Amino acid sequence: MAKLAMKPAADLAAVRRVGIPRALLYYRYGRLWRSFFEELGREVVVDAPSDRGTLETGDRLSVDETCLASKLFLGHVAALARQGVDAVFVPSLMGYGRFDTFCTKFQALPDLVVNAFAVAGEQVRVIALRVDEPGGQSEEDAFMGLGVRLGASHKETRRAYRAAAAAQRAYDEEMAREQERLVKSLSKLPAADRPLTILVAAHPYVAHDPFVGGVVEDALRAQGACVLFADETDRARVLKRSYDFSRSIPWIVNRELIGSLLMLHEHVDGIVLMSAYPCGPDSMADDAIERCIHGKPILTLTVDAQTGTAGVETRVESFVDILSYQKKGGYLNA
Amino acid sequence: MRNLSAGPEQGAGEPRAKKPAAEERGRIVLSEGAPRPLFFTGKRPKRDRHSRRKVAFFHFRNYEPAFKYFTERVLDADFVPTPAPTRATLKRGEEMSADYVCTPFKHIIGDYAAALDRGADVLVQVTGFCRLNYYGELQEMILRDAGYDNFQMLNFSYVPTGKLRDYVAYCKKVVNPNLSVPRGIGGMLGAYRMVEHIDAFRDQYLANAGFEAEKGSFTRVRRAFLSDMNAASTTAQVDEGYRRAADALAALAVEKPADPVRVGIVGEYYTAQDPVSCLNLEEKLMSMGVELSNAMSISAFNLHYNAAAAQASIAEYSSYDMGPTSTFNIAAAKRYAEAGYDGIIHIKSAGCTPEIDVMPVLQRLSRDYRVPVLFLTFDTQTSDAGLDTRLEAFYDMIAMRKVR
Repeated sequence: MAKLAMKPAADLAAVRRVGIPRALLYYRYGRLWRSFFEELGREVVVDAPSDRGTLETGDRLSVDETCLASKLFLGHVAALARQGVDAVFVPSLMGYGRFDTFCTKFQALPDLVVNAFAVAGEQVRVIALRVDEPGGQSEEDAFMGLGVRLGASHKETRRAYRAAAAAQRAYDEEMAREQERLVKSLSKLPAADRPLTILVAAHPYVAHDPFVGGVVEDALRAQGACVLFADETDRARVLKRSYDFSRSIPWIVNRELIGSLLMLHEHVDGIVLMSAYPCGPDSMADDAIERCIHGKPILTLTVDAQTGTAGVETRVESFVDILSYQKKGGYLNA
Repeated sequence: MRNLSAGPEQGAGEPRAKKPAAEERGRIVLSEGAPRPLFFTGKRPKRDRHSRRKVAFFHFRNYEPAFKYFTERVLDADFVPTPAPTRATLKRGEEMSADYVCTPFKHIIGDYAAALDRGADVLVQVTGFCRLNYYGELQEMILRDAGYDNFQMLNFSYVPTGKLRDYVAYCKKVVNPNLSVPRGIGGMLGAYRMVEHIDAFRDQYLANAGFEAEKGSFTRVRRAFLSDMNAASTTAQVDEGYRRAADALAALAVEKPADPVRVGIVGEYYTAQDPVSCLNLEEKLMSMGVELSNAMSISAFNLHYNAAAAQASIAEYSSYDMGPTSTFNIAAAKRYAEAGYDGIIHIKSAGCTPEIDVMPVLQRLSRDYRVPVLFLTFDTQTSDAGLDTRLEAFYDMIAMRKVR
């Protein structure tokens, strides 16, 4: 007879080095994930930022039609596997409410990684957890379950989760505060001295990935523009604000971006909507934004796996040029 | 009242002379038929609950009779049939939508525009999963921008609680304030039954229509069945129509080999079912002499689906539910593989994220069970000839494997 297990098996107790891919929602929850494992005494390896090589590896592992961000993710997982980590942390995130969900990509990630690597004949061990609040699995429960599997006690796990969540919150608040300060100081400047302010609205893993959005940010800064990010705002507030815009848009990240757009609209001179080709949520949200948010020029950029950066730079430069001419009162007065 | 002044010729005490009946003063007639109702029966006459709103759905496979039944029996409103989609409808939809939104969105908005041109004033959009949740709101926005403003959207995404009571309240608000709930529930059951019958009929049809002895006989029965469903107004008629059609289908002569080539179809909810979206893929395969089975249908996915069991059945391939229809499709593909099907076709629309993520799983399943899987992506641009070539090549390949 099998022994009655009083405690769920600590099947991950031997995992000492945990890899976290620097892609997708790492740009949103990185602090939380990192400090959770560190609190539990694991060594955390976050791989290097994306480059052309990451994309090539990821592309080889993916079906052609997958989005750029997903290809990069698989590239990062492969990089971690090469670095000899014991396991890679790939959570499955559903969402926090009926209209606060993530793209189904995030829900599929652990199984996607396992199957894609199995098809390619490569080995990788995945640590997963599932956050599905409408389905009754809260983030805290998910991490508690993971802690037990890692061989920690309930008490230790709870402490680790709380500390990690606090670290993430502190980081998010810091970013939001900093941007708020920047907006405030900009609005205090006299209109003539104010630099051109551009709001970049993109998923965090697009906006802050140096290989994808970094090019755009650099090009904007090189033109002397002040760059604001729609994902660095007070999340709770902008999420609430987004319900003014739409009742039924189901993605939490897009909701936050839209809320930020509404909130920062009067403080900016132009908006850059950036997405990784082909992004499902953006395909609809961007259409709605262009239809409903008027009054500020919008540049829509789609970054895909094929093109180099030259095309993007040109478009950003001409966008900034047009805006600065407009600011001076039109081409004839420049 | 007697007129005292009339009749001075009659003296007092004389017997009253009978006056000849100059005019008829009254008559008792026994009326025939049912008695005339009394004034106060305690029952009020039935009020007319029907709403004159003209409701239209999008085009989806051959579910139109069920949509009609739902509109007439549940919403109790007028039904406007959406015109059969044409190249022009699709082109219209394509122009109105963003480039890389999923293809069903383009089909549906094209249908809506056509339905509005026909005079519909309520458009129904469903809710569920993934981008579909946002279809209704964005489509309404686009249609209004395109100049249609005399319509309302019955968009079930606007009922976030998902409770029956709230759905009813919403339908009352948009379509029919006098909607009768008990009748509506009866109608709902009839609509469910009709959907089940339409799906059951399709399953039989797909299995045998490729081997018909008399060309066109299956299509004939199918047409008759759908027109019966279209005409049905009670659950009994729905059942009766199905029974008749099922008998007719079973009676048709087929020339089926003992071990035919069998192909299973899985894929994205809309495209895998809708012949317009997948360029009549089913008919094309059947004309080559294939026994088909299509896993996806409203009955299979919405009415009789046990998600937990399906997830458990594919534990070695997927540990979490990967997307709206992912678990369903992987489980169905595995079932086909285990049942010894000769090939599996996976259908999706361009850019369908959850189905793209299913593909590696099916690739692995294909390797494990040694069953060929054909992956097809349908966009508004997909060409007919290209599909023919791929299907013929796939058929040749699985037919040759079978002989070997």
